[in-house]
Amino acid sequence: MYVIIVGCGRLGCTLAKELSDADYDVSVIDSDARKLDMLGSGFNGLRVKGIEFDVDILKEAGAEQADCVVCATPDDNINITAALVAKKIFNTPQIVARINEPKKKAIYDSLEIETINPTEISAFILKSRIEENRR
Amino acid sequence: MKSIIVGGGKLGFNLLKILRQRGYDATLIELDEGKCRRIAEETGADVICGDGTELEVLNDAGIIEADIIAAVTGKDENNLVVCEIAQSIFHIKSIARINNPKNTDMFRKLGVERTVCSTQVIANLIEYEFEGGNCRFIQAFDRGNMILVEISPVSNNGFEEHLVKDLDLPAECTVASIIRNNEVIYPKADTVIKKDDCIYLVTNHANYLAIRKNLHKGGRFNEKHKK
Repeated sequence: MYVIIVGCGRLGCTLAKELSDADYDVSVIDSDARKLDMLGSGFNGLRVKGIEFDVDILKEAGAEQADCVVCATPDDNINITAALVAKKIFNTPQIVARINEPKKKAIYDSLEIETINPTEISAFILKSRIEENRR
Repeated sequence: MKSIIVGGGKLGFNLLKILRQRGYDATLIELDEGKCRRIAEETGADVICGDGTELEVLNDAGIIEADIIAAVTGKDENNLVVCEIAQSIFHIKSIARINNPKNTDMFRKLGVERTVCSTQVIANLIEYEFEGGNCRFIQAFDRGNMILVEISPVSNNGFEEHLVKDLDLPAECTVASIIRNNEVIYPKADTVIKKDDCIYLVTNHANYLAIRKNLHKGGRFNEKHKK
């Protein structure tokens, strides 16, 4: 199973290390080399520095063979663009994008991009913790 | 006609001014508050302060009644998303500015057909200026797929005193017009080219370069007849 992670922030970096430890083939793209350094020396996947939605950069990261592309940058428009490139140019079987601005969910939906919403998930978990305490 | 412009940089600002001068209803969306204020003060137009890739902001700008939206921010990913939203949600025409020429192909593959890459256009213009000689690029059509070229004067090119139909030009090239003594001539196959004529050709980039090369050698027509 080959996974490309677009965006090496806290979410992308953590996911990359998790997947790599679980023996997945992982490559990570970020336009900022310092972010890629956050992966540390233990990470044995591929690191690609470049524009996150650039066709050649995605190709270099192995988009032609990838089973899954995760778009995890903190910029929704970069995530949408990278997801559309993966979907329409590389025909990637599975694409999941991270929503940053919850208002933009409708846009991801209308472009048929699968999403997760970390803000909503965190809020939901926090709410249930608070409710647990009240019992 | 109502249009929406996303991006209040130099391009967006001047686009807004021109459209309003021509009497069109145009609304501009810009994220930066200071820029919004300046543009609103200077043009008197409707300026919406917000992210032009948010549905709420686009609705505020009146996208429902708009006929066309122009995405002219300095970031290609933003321009792409604006066009994708316009096409898939609001079903209106869109035109995108491309900042990095490398992204032109990507926009086309993602279904955004109407794009303008000013960097590419200017680079082509500079290239045309460099080695032009008496062969000059005038205007691009269909986003550069078709170009109008001027050859002026035609003397010493081996074109003079020949019929239009006898000119040895590439297949993808047509003589569109001739200017002679400040008069426009609409050339037919039997029109004779005169010494000081200025002729206009419709062709494409590749054939333009080929024609220009042949003119430097004194014209392909000349060479053939010398033998």
